[in-house]
Amino acid sequence: MSEMLYWQALNRAMDAEMAADETVLTLGEDVGLYGGTYRVTEGLMAKYGEWRVRDTPISENSFTGLGVGAAMLGLRPVVEIMTINFALFAMDAIVNMAAKIPFMSGGQFPMPLTIRMPGGVAKQLGAQHSQRLEHMLMNVPGLRIVVPATPQDAYWQLRQAIRSDDPILVLEHELLYFSKGDVDEATLAPPIHQAVARRRGRDITCIAYSRMLPLALQAAETLAAEGIELTVIDPRSLSPIDWDTCVRAVEQTHRCLIVEEDCRFAGAGAEFAATLQERCFYLLDAPIQRVAGMDIPTPFNGTLEAASIPRGEHIVQAARQMMAQQ
Amino acid sequence: MKAEITMPVLSDTMQTGRLTRWNKAVGEVIKKGEAVAEVETDKAILDVEAFADGFLAGPLAAVDTDIPVRQVIGYIADTPEATKTDSGGAARVAATTAPPAPPSAAPGAVPEKKTAPPDTQQPTAPAAAATPPDTAPSEKPASPLPPHTPTAAAAALQPPHAGGLQASPYARALARDLELDLSQVKPGPDGIIHAAQVLASALAPEDADLRRGPPYTIERPSMLRAAVARNMSATLDTPTFLISSRFATAPLHAAAKQAGLSLTLALTRACALTVAEDPWFNQVWTRQGLAKRSRVDVGIAVDTGDGLITPVLRDAASRPLKELVEDWRILLGKVKKGRIYPEDYQGASFYLSNLGVFPEVERFNAIVPVGASAILAVAAAGSDGRADFTLSCDHRVIFGADAARFLQRLGKRLEDLSWLATGEGGL
Repeated sequence: MSEMLYWQALNRAMDAEMAADETVLTLGEDVGLYGGTYRVTEGLMAKYGEWRVRDTPISENSFTGLGVGAAMLGLRPVVEIMTINFALFAMDAIVNMAAKIPFMSGGQFPMPLTIRMPGGVAKQLGAQHSQRLEHMLMNVPGLRIVVPATPQDAYWQLRQAIRSDDPILVLEHELLYFSKGDVDEATLAPPIHQAVARRRGRDITCIAYSRMLPLALQAAETLAAEGIELTVIDPRSLSPIDWDTCVRAVEQTHRCLIVEEDCRFAGAGAEFAATLQERCFYLLDAPIQRVAGMDIPTPFNGTLEAASIPRGEHIVQAARQMMAQQ
Repeated sequence: MKAEITMPVLSDTMQTGRLTRWNKAVGEVIKKGEAVAEVETDKAILDVEAFADGFLAGPLAAVDTDIPVRQVIGYIADTPEATKTDSGGAARVAATTAPPAPPSAAPGAVPEKKTAPPDTQQPTAPAAAATPPDTAPSEKPASPLPPHTPTAAAAALQPPHAGGLQASPYARALARDLELDLSQVKPGPDGIIHAAQVLASALAPEDADLRRGPPYTIERPSMLRAAVARNMSATLDTPTFLISSRFATAPLHAAAKQAGLSLTLALTRACALTVAEDPWFNQVWTRQGLAKRSRVDVGIAVDTGDGLITPVLRDAASRPLKELVEDWRILLGKVKKGRIYPEDYQGASFYLSNLGVFPEVERFNAIVPVGASAILAVAAAGSDGRADFTLSCDHRVIFGADAARFLQRLGKRLEDLSWLATGEGGL
């Protein structure tokens, strides 16, 4: 067990998998010589050579397609797309190829492809560089999506993604790369798509993923001081979603609050709310609520940018309101 | 610009207040600190004071409705024009034509719902109110929702359930399991029945079934009466015992008269001094432990004609009698005017109930209010000149021998009245 940053945990995971399996390779813009925009592939080129750590031209559809082809033929490529915003160029490779080929080939072609991409609102990168897009990707059957919120999960889930024979998107958050946490490299990881309760409380189940998780945990502390106790569920995976864990929590609190940084409309929160009301309707004591990003392109202005996505106080406020009704 | 006037929180226990009257009409000038409306709370009628100079603006909450604390009841505008642009009349029209559950949709079934027009319930979230999921989708992009008020009005916008009764799914399921009739459950402050209300109703003693008896009508009790009923029911968990003695009251009566005191006040002082000698009588049982109070505050039951109230004389054991006399005069004045505040009647550590003015009452016993460990009931003096003194005690705090010694000391104090004439902070 040692304390490390989120990007370091990803780097350790890459290193471990590349050392364990020589079919693992990584490719993307600046992953080689430069070591990755967020340092995730730092030192790998020196260690594993330029055949396995490949710098690519600025052409997302091409190098993601290259990853698809490599995966079809038995390699385990890890494609890094510099930010999720650029994944829009690679949609054909991701949606039409990676997600479809195993299905359309009747399972003749496996797809052990991992695509890593940072996303989320960072600090004034403008509307075209601040998107989350997980709700877009959740709508593609055949893809799996994990959203590690802690260095430990980043380490575990990247390793598990690389070992999986299905196409998995690892959505990293730009503001989480420098968050710190304990990473135990020896313990057996929980299943990659399993949700976990980060905190237990009797009043409200708060479902929060990626960077919203630390916000929710902080809000839970504030609320606990006022006597409102939150259970905080980290789903860890957005496709598939571990419904059983969510349902069990909501059954105990009878109230549910979902926090997402992505836009509210037709988002992950909508999916959580819809399915949880189907499964928990008779145990709900209040309407399921969402705290979500605004349905607008992210403003560049720093104040407006901050106001367009959830903050801790919004979670506190929403929870208070849910409890004040009764 | 308009600022909100909200239902004030006037005590810890206050959840709703009944708006009894508006002192001003829409458009009238109001001064900061002026009473713009009156609210009936648990025990009193209180003023809602204006927090700023300006003009009263609508929509105003309807009179004679129970309104949750902190809910907006009206507005103060800084210009007379601002009151005109959104007059009370216009608001009323809006209230009755607004699609989401106008109060008139369920006139009889859920009277508690009739609080304020819906448009006053969420005045701070117009964007949220403008885009419920069932409105035309074309409206959506025009007003993106701020993240913190995503569905602020969701609860308020729910269409009423068939029969006008709104209950959460969990509340319904619980009611079914507990075989409770939901129509008998009082909704929460938002007008919706939640699990908490179902459970409270399940734990509350069942109402008598009156259907087989004579015909009847149901009348809403005054807030004061309802509060007394609630407080008395809350004492059911207190294990009590009674202990009685008979003391001559004539000497006290005479000495009090000489000192210019009412008998009630003289008795209060006698009790306070006796309590001060044995701190057990000034303690109360709480879940955390025994609360030991450092001051004797005596609550005195007063008949208001319409109910019961217990003004409290603070520090009744050690302050000069002169101060107590003055305090008592002020408190009685407040009771008479119905302008008594929670700090005037809450928090006594010992209680006194004197029915000595009814010569027919030979003896009675009183109920120990929550927050105290004992109450003394004093009846009228009999033909032998002695009156019955019955002490009700919380047995978790006070034991029989303590109570016996208390009466012993009180008896001596009623014989030797030197404390009244001179010593111990006398007049």
